[in-house]
Amino acid sequence: MVLKDLFLGGKKELEVIDKMKKHMGFLCSACTTLKAAIENRDKELISSVSDLEREGDIVRREIFSNIYEGAFLPFLRPNICRFVEIVDNALDVTKDAAIEYTDLELDEETKDDCARIADISAKMCEMLLAAIETLSGRADLREKSLAIRIYEKRVDEIEFDLIKRLRTKEIKNFWEGKALSDFIHDLTSISDLIEDASDYLQIINISLR
Amino acid sequence: MKVEEIMNKKIEYIEPEATVYDAIEKMVDKRIRSLLVNPKDEQDVYGLITVRDIVFRIINKNLNPRKIKVVEITSKPLVCVAKDMSIEHVMALMEKFNIARVIVCEESKVRGIVSIFDVMAGSLIEKAREGHGA
Repeated sequence: MVLKDLFLGGKKELEVIDKMKKHMGFLCSACTTLKAAIENRDKELISSVSDLEREGDIVRREIFSNIYEGAFLPFLRPNICRFVEIVDNALDVTKDAAIEYTDLELDEETKDDCARIADISAKMCEMLLAAIETLSGRADLREKSLAIRIYEKRVDEIEFDLIKRLRTKEIKNFWEGKALSDFIHDLTSISDLIEDASDYLQIINISLR
Repeated sequence: MKVEEIMNKKIEYIEPEATVYDAIEKMVDKRIRSLLVNPKDEQDVYGLITVRDIVFRIINKNLNPRKIKVVEITSKPLVCVAKDMSIEHVMALMEKFNIARVIVCEESKVRGIVSIFDVMAGSLIEKAREGHGA
């Protein structure tokens, strides 16, 4: 028996891990929905992203309640809570990006880049979900963490070119420019937050050794 | 994993008559390690110039990059792959031809470029996905 079995094998702990997976699942769905909304210029999907964020909030509250009702040893709780908070922040910025997208009309090239960023973010979510499953098993998280970092680097590259190109674009008024800037900022923050969450998962994993 | 998932769509072109120094400037500005060289005429084909070519064939030999044209160190013809090709196949091609980049073509148009680094990153992601469907 290893430490992981002792710390993660209890009923309360397994319940929290299941909820963490559910919470992550909402983030994956939100990113996939945002990608579809951008790709197909389908603004009706935006309300679905907001719904997923609300569902995520409910699960986050349940996780915190479960933790403070006694799940996990006290030294593990802050890192688990922090991980859940970061995933929740990612859900928030996904929703914000979706709302900002409502009033935007992106040119074809920008639309393709944004859809690609949303797609990579969705893939990062799936990888993070796989990493949570690894946490409750015995395999090493390192491979998943590296894959997430590779994805994040790709988002950074797309963002760099996108911002460089957008700076040459004519903006008709302040609010149009602000909405576009906020949208790109929030869209690219999703991958940053997923990477941060992955780092916290790695810390949790190490503290279980 | 298919080529489409790892290919880089950011392709920069340069004219064959431009100087190697122009190519260096473009690579530095755009933070890239290779440029696609446009065909000279309708009978010609695309070529490729890489940082490796510039370092080994110009800088290391103390030649002046301002006096040498891109066409003089361009590699041709290019190895083209389809975007639905597997990365294992791409790896095999890279090993066979001892190259670090392949071009992704579709209906005789260039769609992207895949470097050996992209292949490594792609295979690591594939390995991390194993058994999880991520």
